[in-house]
Amino acid sequence: MAVVATTTVSEPRIVADAGVRRRRFVDGLATVILWGLGASVILMLAAFVIYLFYLGASAISWQFLTGSPEETTAGGGIGPEIYNSFYILILTLIFTVPIALAAGVYLQEYAKPGMFRTIVQFSAESLATVPSIVMGLFGLLVFVYYFHWGFSALGGAVTLTLLNLPALMRVTQEALSSVPDSLREASMGLGATRWQTIYRTVIPSAIGRMTTGIVLIAGRIFGETAALIFTAGLSVSANHPYELNPMRSAETLAIHLWYTHSESIVPDVDRIGNGSALVLLVMVLIFNVSARVAGRALTKRFTGRSS
Amino acid sequence: MIESPELRVGAREKLVARDVNIYYGSFQAIKRANLTIHENTVHALIGPSGCGKSTFLRALDRMHDLTPGARVEGEVLLDGANIYAPGADPVVIRHRIGMVFQRPNPFPKTIFENVVYGPKIHGERNHTKLQEICERSLRQAALWDEVKDRLNRSALDLSGGQQQRLCIARVLAVEPEVILMDEPASALDPIATSKIEDLIGELKEHYTVVIVTHSMQQAARISEFTAFFHLGEIVEVGTTNDIFTRPKEKRTEDYITGRFG
Amino acid sequence: MIAVQAKRSHTIERIAVWVLRAAATFVIVAIAALLIYLCFEGSKTFTVDHLPIWQFLFTSDFDPTANKGGAAIFIVGTIVVTLFALCIGGPFGIAVGAFLSEIAPPRMAGILKPAIEVLVGIPSVVYGWLGLRLLVPFLREHTSSASGFGLAAAGIVLSIMILPTVISLSEDAFRSLPGALREGSMALGSTRWQTIVRVLLPSASSGLSVALILGMARAIGETLAVQMVLGNATQFANGLFAPTAALTTEIVIDMPGATQGSFLEHELFSMALFLLLMAMALILLVRFVLRKRV
Repeated sequence: MAVVATTTVSEPRIVADAGVRRRRFVDGLATVILWGLGASVILMLAAFVIYLFYLGASAISWQFLTGSPEETTAGGGIGPEIYNSFYILILTLIFTVPIALAAGVYLQEYAKPGMFRTIVQFSAESLATVPSIVMGLFGLLVFVYYFHWGFSALGGAVTLTLLNLPALMRVTQEALSSVPDSLREASMGLGATRWQTIYRTVIPSAIGRMTTGIVLIAGRIFGETAALIFTAGLSVSANHPYELNPMRSAETLAIHLWYTHSESIVPDVDRIGNGSALVLLVMVLIFNVSARVAGRALTKRFTGRSS
Repeated sequence: MIESPELRVGAREKLVARDVNIYYGSFQAIKRANLTIHENTVHALIGPSGCGKSTFLRALDRMHDLTPGARVEGEVLLDGANIYAPGADPVVIRHRIGMVFQRPNPFPKTIFENVVYGPKIHGERNHTKLQEICERSLRQAALWDEVKDRLNRSALDLSGGQQQRLCIARVLAVEPEVILMDEPASALDPIATSKIEDLIGELKEHYTVVIVTHSMQQAARISEFTAFFHLGEIVEVGTTNDIFTRPKEKRTEDYITGRFG
Repeated sequence: MIAVQAKRSHTIERIAVWVLRAAATFVIVAIAALLIYLCFEGSKTFTVDHLPIWQFLFTSDFDPTANKGGAAIFIVGTIVVTLFALCIGGPFGIAVGAFLSEIAPPRMAGILKPAIEVLVGIPSVVYGWLGLRLLVPFLREHTSSASGFGLAAAGIVLSIMILPTVISLSEDAFRSLPGALREGSMALGSTRWQTIVRVLLPSASSGLSVALILGMARAIGETLAVQMVLGNATQFANGLFAPTAALTTEIVIDMPGATQGSFLEHELFSMALFLLLMAMALILLVRFVLRKRV
């Protein structure tokens, strides 16, 4: 229990006894440990970034970034792979964004609670639980086998669409729900239809958050591998490395990194791997930062406020 | 500065607030508050909403330490020792000064675990002792008969009034010297309220009680002393009888007669 | 004029709703198709190749050329790697979640939370590459592991990959607890740590369970990073640092070489189906946990 100690100046003080001191010690120790754990997460990230730069910086050159890969000799580049990564990314977004947006808007703004709505939510949640490699096998079944497309960028893009649909739907729904109902009421009260309200008022208010979400998901698509290995393939055409045809095999940068590690027989595997890993990391960082910047800028432009 | 009269000759000054100022950021919520609370009395803090009585109450057991941005100046003496002195440990202080909140806040644990939480964290491990403490505290809180057969059931299954009495039992289990109550019955129905009021009457035998209430009738029923707060200041302090029948300040009289608040 | 305009916007409205509903229906079609195709192809091992299910699940005799399809090694491999990752990443994640919710000042949170977002964005291959370059040599040098590849390497890499999930869900779980709980505990004279351990942790248990389960779900589906450091030996792990194989790693290694319609291909699809069922079971578990807390 507590002790009220009196000093010679007869000023009573409240003093902690041994039990309290011990508890205070444990509390302090625990606080230090938790701070340490929190800091270690930050340090871990810093260590990864620094190490990847350290490993890969020497590999980066204009030739590396634009040249074509070699099958057996040293000196290969990753130009076509970077191109394919963006190609598939854009193709995937072309499919994913409209569908996810539409489905998200429907669920959030239109659908009345009931059977249909529950099934759609449940479907989206189930789709989200599918591991990416299983999705890749599904793509293999449908596009490579059943449709007889062989390896194709299109098949890869559609597979990635299915993979990212739930995430983008969730982003859309959350962005829409953050728009206060008073906005909708004001618009409908002026005689606008539901769609006009959504199109002119709700979506512009939510567009900042949606953009942030889209860009972050784009970053994930850029680094996707498991779903593409069996759908978009492991090779680039030797003669036409940069082409617009979606029906051809399209090895992305992320797949190239894996392929380099596991199958490649060129002598400078390390150099190519380090360089590819670094480029992937830099792209992720760029996507991450752009997501925030774009989101904030768009919110400001469309609503005049900063959040 | 208004001095509070002694009720009995020799009644000790238990809790003394001296020149207490409380700030939330740059907003001053309490201005130069001075108050003396005597042992084994029930002291009511009344005033219109927003006048700072809860803010003042929380300063008495250093609960503002938990609020970022809150700052307390001045002294609060517990048996002569300043609880805001640099070396004073809030853990010790909160052991000696307990608080019951406006909304019952039982932990999502069993009734038994709720009551013995305080003794347990202070190091008591003997299971027999804990059971004794549990029964004693629940009896003091007039809850024992209602729950003695279901001590191992969740505290959240109790009614609002029962939960609040459980929270009181929880505080009693650590054997504090002072009990602070922040509108303890405002969230309860009239029957539960009257049970709590009866309880407070019994508690003052062994404890010192400071209670914030927005109900003047309640203050008149249960307290011996009353302090009237208005806009962050203590306007008047006196025996409850004096405050309600012969208020010295006009603001006090206006509040009592219902002209505002 | 107004009457005509009103009719036009009304038509637009009808078309818009139709389009939106079609998009929503697409989602249902997608998952239905996926389940149907996968079940169909994944069951061929049992229907076409006549492998008994119990043999698939519980025997470890894996030799597709001889029509032996015991997948137990891979199933156990997946489970063990996941548990390893959970044992490290689980407590670590919950602790950092508590840190963010209860202790971290805004400036620290302002650095830590973006850092966690970046960690989420790092692709699986890059984690695998880091594992290869950093972790495997380290394990080779400093532990009893012969090559550095193995269960420990994969478990550690995986634990880092599930950290962000566990951290943010744990933080949410703690934050959603009412402040009255903390006040009540502190007012009885407990220290902050005692409040966290004795009150907040038990009170948030369902939210924390969800964090762990979703971390697990993430872990069992992870392919590339695990494959790059696990060692890919078709054997049970006979030690903490021994190489072994998991469902995802086996699929990604053998599928490129499997001919359509072969025993191996059917076997791999069965494994994929099993993986999917595991993931879905975990999600159902989450729903169950969340429903029970009410």
